[in-house]
Amino acid sequence: MTDTVDTPPTPFGRNPRHFGIDPSDAWPDDVPKDQDDTHWRYEGDPKGARKAERRIAAAWTVTMLASVGLAVVYVDGANNVLAGLCWGLAFGGLGIGMLLWARDLMPGHDVIASRGHHNVSSEADRVAVAESLGRGLDPMARRPFLFKMLGAVGGVFGIAIAFPIASLGPRPQRNLFKTAWGKGVRAVTLDGKPVRPSDLPYNGILTVFPETNVHDALAPTLLLNLGNLTNETPPERVGWNIPIDGKTGIIAVSKICTHAGCPASLYNVVTHQLVCPCHYSTFDVLQICKPIFGPAPRGLPQLPLAVDAEGYIVAQADYSSAGGGPVGPGFWNRG
Amino acid sequence: MSTTEERMSAQKRMRLARSGTDTVDERLGSSKFLTSVLDKIFPDHWSFMVGEIAMDSLIVLIITGIYLALFYVPSSKEVVYAPTSGHVYIPLVGQRMSEAYQSVINISFNVRFGLIMRQAHHWAALIFLAAVFFHMARIFFTGAFRKPREMNWIIGLLLWQIVALEGFTGYSLPDDLLSGTGLRVIYSIVESIPFVGTWLVYALWGGRFPGTSLIPRLFVVHEFLFPLLIIGLLTAHLMILWHQKHTDFPGPGKTETNIRGSRIWPQYALKAGGLMMLVAAVIFLLAGFVQINPVWIYGPYHPYTISAGAQPDWYLGWQDGAVRLWPHFEFRSFGHEIANPFFPGLLMPGILLNIMFAWPWIDKKIYKDYGPHNLLDRPRDKPFRTGVGVAAVVFFVVLTMASGSDILANNLHVSYEAIIVILDYLAVLGPLAGFVIAYKACQRLSQTDFHPIQRPVGGVIYRTPDGGYHTVGDVHHGPSHDVPADAGANGGHNGTASHAEGHVDETVPAPTAGD
Amino acid sequence: MIMRLLKNLRNRRVLIGPFILFGLALVAFSVLTLTQSTAKAQEALVSTNPNDIAAGAVLYSEHCQSCHGYQGEGGVVGGAPALVDKGAAAANFYLTTGRMPLNAANNEAIRHHAFFNPAQIRELDAYINALPQITGIGGSGPTIPSVEPLCANQGTLAAQSEKGCVTLSEGQQLFSINCAQCHQAAGSGNILSNGNVIPSLNNANITQVAEAPLVGPKPMPIFTELSHAQISAIAQYVIYLHHAPNPGGFAIGRIGPVAEGFVAILGGFCLLWFAARMIGNRG
Repeated sequence: MTDTVDTPPTPFGRNPRHFGIDPSDAWPDDVPKDQDDTHWRYEGDPKGARKAERRIAAAWTVTMLASVGLAVVYVDGANNVLAGLCWGLAFGGLGIGMLLWARDLMPGHDVIASRGHHNVSSEADRVAVAESLGRGLDPMARRPFLFKMLGAVGGVFGIAIAFPIASLGPRPQRNLFKTAWGKGVRAVTLDGKPVRPSDLPYNGILTVFPETNVHDALAPTLLLNLGNLTNETPPERVGWNIPIDGKTGIIAVSKICTHAGCPASLYNVVTHQLVCPCHYSTFDVLQICKPIFGPAPRGLPQLPLAVDAEGYIVAQADYSSAGGGPVGPGFWNRG
Repeated sequence: MSTTEERMSAQKRMRLARSGTDTVDERLGSSKFLTSVLDKIFPDHWSFMVGEIAMDSLIVLIITGIYLALFYVPSSKEVVYAPTSGHVYIPLVGQRMSEAYQSVINISFNVRFGLIMRQAHHWAALIFLAAVFFHMARIFFTGAFRKPREMNWIIGLLLWQIVALEGFTGYSLPDDLLSGTGLRVIYSIVESIPFVGTWLVYALWGGRFPGTSLIPRLFVVHEFLFPLLIIGLLTAHLMILWHQKHTDFPGPGKTETNIRGSRIWPQYALKAGGLMMLVAAVIFLLAGFVQINPVWIYGPYHPYTISAGAQPDWYLGWQDGAVRLWPHFEFRSFGHEIANPFFPGLLMPGILLNIMFAWPWIDKKIYKDYGPHNLLDRPRDKPFRTGVGVAAVVFFVVLTMASGSDILANNLHVSYEAIIVILDYLAVLGPLAGFVIAYKACQRLSQTDFHPIQRPVGGVIYRTPDGGYHTVGDVHHGPSHDVPADAGANGGHNGTASHAEGHVDETVPAPTAGD
Repeated sequence: MIMRLLKNLRNRRVLIGPFILFGLALVAFSVLTLTQSTAKAQEALVSTNPNDIAAGAVLYSEHCQSCHGYQGEGGVVGGAPALVDKGAAAANFYLTTGRMPLNAANNEAIRHHAFFNPAQIRELDAYINALPQITGIGGSGPTIPSVEPLCANQGTLAAQSEKGCVTLSEGQQLFSINCAQCHQAAGSGNILSNGNVIPSLNNANITQVAEAPLVGPKPMPIFTELSHAQISAIAQYVIYLHHAPNPGGFAIGRIGPVAEGFVAILGGFCLLWFAARMIGNRG
């Protein structure tokens, strides 16, 4: 022990253990002998070393000043920019100081060592592990029935312990096909007011909700006033609009995009297109929101409209397959 | 040159160190192990530090994340924002919002240093994934995934997937307009899975979108499940790396059975620590100076609201871009349908990922090379693999651009329809072109040994069967290079002049910063 | 020392990759920050002074008549609309935002510097406002709206019950359901189908914001179902967004994750890449 202390620093090459070479192996060709990584950059240059020390001290002084700054910033209302500056300078000064210390004053140098044979065991070891494993495998192989039954047990028990997962959510029932709209349900705005056809100007667009449940996430619907424009109404959807001057007038389509469920509500009144800002599916309003660009595979479903006795806009019925429903993106048993 | 004084103090230090190590050794018998740890050799090529940048960002993420979790309230309970004390964000006063969103607003405005922690957390996540992608590309292009490192390639891919999902759950927790929009899209993608889609979304969300179960569940996933998986897999990743020893580029004196580098202690450890501090510095400078995800402007999420420019964070852009580019196709038959988002949202990434998982074995088949490797390939020497990698990168970049197609169109003053059609073609033709160009370029480069951007500063030494050496690629020995006129004056600067003459010269200095 | 570093860089060309990316980052960053600007509020009322109307008529005949017709009946060139029933709000909106006059009839009407000075715009507004009386054709369009002020007790729930004033909270909610889908949550604008531009609201003054929903400057729809108070709330909120504090630092356009991704990769990661190259062995 005293030996090593008496002659510091210890050249790396004196201790073969550190080269990853197994003592029982011959010295490999590709590991040079007498390597020495104990020198540092400013070794033997006290002036340079002092300068390096000052550089590191300067970097760490920045950290200390920034830390004081951080405390001041915290007390003084925690301005985000100043806080970021202080944090950044503190970490940066610390890091640069460490890097300079490592570069200038720490011993270290590239050396070459053996990779050894860490990744591959000797033949004897491999045989031994296979034998150990076999100690259990052979008795198992003698009882094929038990072995097979264990598989069956695993299957049955596996299904049983998966049951708690079923508590996570209800069975998907028909409520993906339904919304809160229905016969005579009034269309109301965000603040709960019912809407008259005259409220909506030509080229107007309005998001409405079923009065019975304004929180239904599939129910948001767009009222569009197409005025005297004509559109292509399929025979089964005749009478679903509120005509103005004998022309199309007001129609209602689902606001929920049939692609990924975002509100498709960017309305271009030059081309009469509705666009969804999530994936830029584009729908032609004059063809009752048929998809004309982008990934949406189906048109926006149409809601049949009517006007009730008090002159407010109501739905004739919920969204149905005749109108391109159900609302929202597709799923397996949507049909 | 050691004076008596110095010897005395050295002895004193030795005694001090011994008292520490002996105390541990008498209990754990750890001295041999600790020596091997301190003397561990790491090659310190700069590109090997990209993975370190990822790990350092992860540490920043964990620390800032713990801080944020102390203030975040994982609840979908509806509240009305009306703080009676502290800072108030006026445009939200009186609005209905989830408790989760309210707590994020409080972190941003009412918790001192809360905002900078939130921003540091988000910036760190973005930088983390950038480092992950570059790290992954480096592994692929240099063939570092080859035997015996296939297992770490697979663990790395799993880590990539989990950290991307972890990022997405973090993006969703504030429950602002962007979060809700992202969740709505994910709901639709999961819903589109054949057979089990609706069952799955009902289990995850506890019913129809949006429901009130998801935020607390996401919190558990983001705070507990995924971090646990990430730390577990990362530990395995690093232990395997440690055990197998790092790969290295071919170079003077390097062989498959030796390793060249500097010992961990003390220089390398200090360097790694310094890099970690710099990572933290950059993240916190960004967090201070550049505002990220101003949730107070987006407002609380309601299923009927949306903002233009709804994008995921950049690392999921490629999947979002694929969903945008996929044509309006879906499969409908026999009363069932496979909805549109399934194909680009799950099927395409699934197929790609499987190819990536299988790549080490595909690579073996292609090159009929089943042996273990510790020296890396230069990308140019494996034109096919490099071509495939470049094609994948081009594909990834095109899809990521597609995710910002609206912003791209707006800034280029063309219609988004044009941009999407162009990107549709690019997504198919770009990778093919990338493959061909990279393949040809590799073949040419491989013949000339000329580096496209970097003057060679070393050479590759080949050892001949009769024991001699010859060098390829060295400035003074290789074929004619585009060497600047003042190369003579600088020739010895990088230690390139003296090491190629028939023996390995251990005096090649490691170039250090600013020397 | 810097010269030496530069010389080293030139000779070695080892740091060129990070430099290119870092340069790109700087360019992207400056574009993002420089494209933000603020607007000044502007007082606008409709004059009924006959002198103004007469001056407006002269300006109209010089600059507008060739497309919109002798007395605003429209349809002279292409799709030039009638102006008789559009009201002073439309005139003021199109003229103050520089959308009119167009250089050529089939150009898209997008935001420019105003062609006329404020006095001329006032005269033209007065003329358009007076058109229904001049021509005797019925129907009058919206007049230039006056925007209701913000309530005094903004930070508390009490503000919601105040009368004759609007709150930012109301404005934020109405903006997010009616406007944000196109103009983006922070009003930074985007793009609509067919290449139609959705303008940023960062340059709009409060009158213009209040006019737009009444006028429906195509491709934007009309939102006259919104009440005067609701439109005022939206306008106040949009103006609030102009000078809304950015407590987190530079706002990088407030356009969302795309800009953030750019900064993270080209700014953050690139610096660290640079650092790794300085620290590590570059051989």
